[in-house]
Amino acid sequence: MATAKDADRVRPALTLTKEELEVEVPEPRLNWMNQWREWGVRVRPGNKGLTLGSLNVGLYGEIPMNWPDRSRNPRGAIGVTGTPPVAIQIKDKVDLWAPCAADLYEEAIQRRWAPATDVDWKAIHPLPEDIERAICQVCTEICQYAIIDVEVITSWQHQMAYGYHEVKQFLATTTLDATRRHEAFRKRALVNGGGLGYEGPCQVSRLLLESSGGWTETVTGLILIRALFTQVMIRYLNRFAYNGVERKIYECVTQDFARLITYGVEHIKYALAHAPDKQGSILTTLAIGFRMFNRDLRDPVLREALAIVFGGGIAGARNEGMLVFYEMLDEYVQELLDACQYLRLPVSIEQLPKVFQKDQRHSAEN
Amino acid sequence: MAKFPSVAWFDAVRDIYNKDDAMHGAGSGTCNCVVGVQVGRELFRLTFEGFECSQAEMITKAQLDDCDFYLHMAAKDWRTMLQNIQEHGHATDNFTLNTLDLGRVEGLSASTHNDQYREDLFFRYNQTLQFFFDGSARIQTTF
Repeated sequence: MATAKDADRVRPALTLTKEELEVEVPEPRLNWMNQWREWGVRVRPGNKGLTLGSLNVGLYGEIPMNWPDRSRNPRGAIGVTGTPPVAIQIKDKVDLWAPCAADLYEEAIQRRWAPATDVDWKAIHPLPEDIERAICQVCTEICQYAIIDVEVITSWQHQMAYGYHEVKQFLATTTLDATRRHEAFRKRALVNGGGLGYEGPCQVSRLLLESSGGWTETVTGLILIRALFTQVMIRYLNRFAYNGVERKIYECVTQDFARLITYGVEHIKYALAHAPDKQGSILTTLAIGFRMFNRDLRDPVLREALAIVFGGGIAGARNEGMLVFYEMLDEYVQELLDACQYLRLPVSIEQLPKVFQKDQRHSAEN
Repeated sequence: MAKFPSVAWFDAVRDIYNKDDAMHGAGSGTCNCVVGVQVGRELFRLTFEGFECSQAEMITKAQLDDCDFYLHMAAKDWRTMLQNIQEHGHATDNFTLNTLDLGRVEGLSASTHNDQYREDLFFRYNQTLQFFFDGSARIQTTF
């Protein structure tokens, strides 16, 4: 326990002049000192340390279904009356909550990585030009996705009520994850004698950026379409990585994405459990999203670049590379359908555009 | 020298994993999950808590329900993976957990409960799990 002697050490006593001593200082009222909604709380660290979730005890653990306070008042504090409201639009728990948000926040903090030093960049070696160009093109599109993720998530964060700080804090880590993703893939594009390629088509990106009706609907597009697809793509890139540099990036990014996807899926699950009527808008968002995604996939650039990476060069892209590309799409569709089944969303493969249906794909492309 | 699969083998790998700080940073860090390992018909359970893999034990098939997910392969496939790790000091190419999960028709990670939140821990802790099995390069394994 700190003593007065310790305090003296860190804050030396003031030496006041005679004039200063004559200044009339009002007697401190200290009337704020007995104003606490709950005092005497002592949260003890567990075997995971003092976690954000463990602070949810007593009054401080009360997370109401509605948070009408449109101020920046931290949950559990005494609000000031007369404060002009800030632009908080998401005040209902059902519109943003996921029970795992506090745990995901801790996990993101604990499992952080730094592309500058955790990736052994010196281990990279020259690749055939067609492969290097293809990897750089893929990196360019992943960088663009990351920029969109940041913009989409941050455009909603300030609209969320402070009563649900666990979600706001977790989402802050996802924007850091996205900026780190941008950093890592930009570095990979520029570290081996290559450069950035074409900006990708942006139908899905536009849908996400223009989605203003609700966070749950935005999450639906962001997670079930963009993040799940990118996650599968990165896992396939990992499978066909050309060196340890790429493998390390893909492994770490997979984990970062997994947290975002977990939040998204668990939020949609929570929203559907507490507001079943949201199912309609979620399904509509998915239907629109798939039309946009279908248009994006018609652009050959990403498809061809991935096929070159998977096929070991232009020569292998036409057959093996494209087969792996479609296997990757099938894996994405399976992940999506698994997620929809978990969420009890009535989505079947027949409802998806033909490019996502293995047995219909050929007719769709002819 | 430890025979795979056995509790003694997992304990030897746990010891390496628990003591090596390099396995607890750079995208790894604390890990909280219960992982099943199915080697043919033999079943094991690994408990990860914070920076430690705190326990390895043999379990019955019914106890797989307690696992967040389990990694399943035939004994010969585990052997091939571990020999790859032994040879290179870490898993390469077709023998990383991610690639095995994608490349095998039956996958690598599965669960008995279909709870996606728990199943997704395989992806959230992938780096830690890879570090753990890569640690086996530092022990002598017999089969």
